[in-house]
Amino acid sequence: MHIPDSFIPLTQAIVYWVIALPFIFMSMKWAKNELDEMKVPVLAALAAGIFAIQAMNIPIGMGTSGHMVGATLVAIVFGSPWAGVLVLTLVLLVQGFAFGDGGITTLGANILNMGVISGFVGYYTYAALRKSVGTSIAAFGGAWLGLFISAMACAVQMWVAGTFPLVPGLMAMGTFHLIIGFIGEGLITAVAVTAIAKSRPDLLEDSFAAGSDKYNTEVHA
Amino acid sequence: MSGKSNMKFLYAGIVIALLISALAPFLASPDPDGLESAAGGVIEESRMSELEEMEPVVGSPMPDYSIEGMGKSGEIAAIALGTLGVLAISLGFGKVFNKKA
Repeated sequence: MHIPDSFIPLTQAIVYWVIALPFIFMSMKWAKNELDEMKVPVLAALAAGIFAIQAMNIPIGMGTSGHMVGATLVAIVFGSPWAGVLVLTLVLLVQGFAFGDGGITTLGANILNMGVISGFVGYYTYAALRKSVGTSIAAFGGAWLGLFISAMACAVQMWVAGTFPLVPGLMAMGTFHLIIGFIGEGLITAVAVTAIAKSRPDLLEDSFAAGSDKYNTEVHA
Repeated sequence: MSGKSNMKFLYAGIVIALLISALAPFLASPDPDGLESAAGGVIEESRMSELEEMEPVVGSPMPDYSIEGMGKSGEIAAIALGTLGVLAISLGFGKVFNKKA
């Protein structure tokens, strides 16, 4: 879903940068308050893994492919959507500048769609579902919805840019990303979160730990 | 969270990421992604070829995750370099922002 420079006129691309900047700033603030020696290795591992998996396009039929975005996964592990914004910002910067994947003028829009919208929708959907359906299914649902809504936002941006017609754009982006979101985002996020919940339950518990739970977490960590 | 097991998480992450980097050039689908594919379907052909011919505003050293003239091994190298680059930037970022330790 990396938007190239040519798909958005410069003035509009700047507007998306202006909207994205406060979110990037807030994610830095999150890092300043929350990152410590324990969390940095986890953040770095997730960032590297997400960069790699974004190069792995999965065929979805109809001559189309798609890949995971990963903001929801990072947000779930750290218990904060700001972590997702931070990691996606770093990943998208490297993709844009080193590999020409996504434009530089449109980097603001890409950070907004893939870092902010997919991460926030994904994380809060997960948080709302987690108690009733369990961690794995909540992670799947959150990741799927997060990717789908960000694709819808992208289609609207393409319409405002005059690049896509509105309804056909929404239909095409919606169809492809419902499938990409199911496999590429939902399943992989659910598998990763389930694996982390099994091997490192403390990581996920820390994310939700408020004061009183901290003691328990430290005992079996 | 214990420091030791988080380092294990980091090493496991690096191994998995590098493994994906090595496999992606062979396994990844060459089909256009959702956005490109949607563009091909909803934009008029003449306009589409115009858009495709426009150069990116800022050039990049390894466009399309490849290194010129190096084929598949170049693609593996490009993705692995990107993976390690993101890793280094994240660790460096963590060092700068982690003033509490």
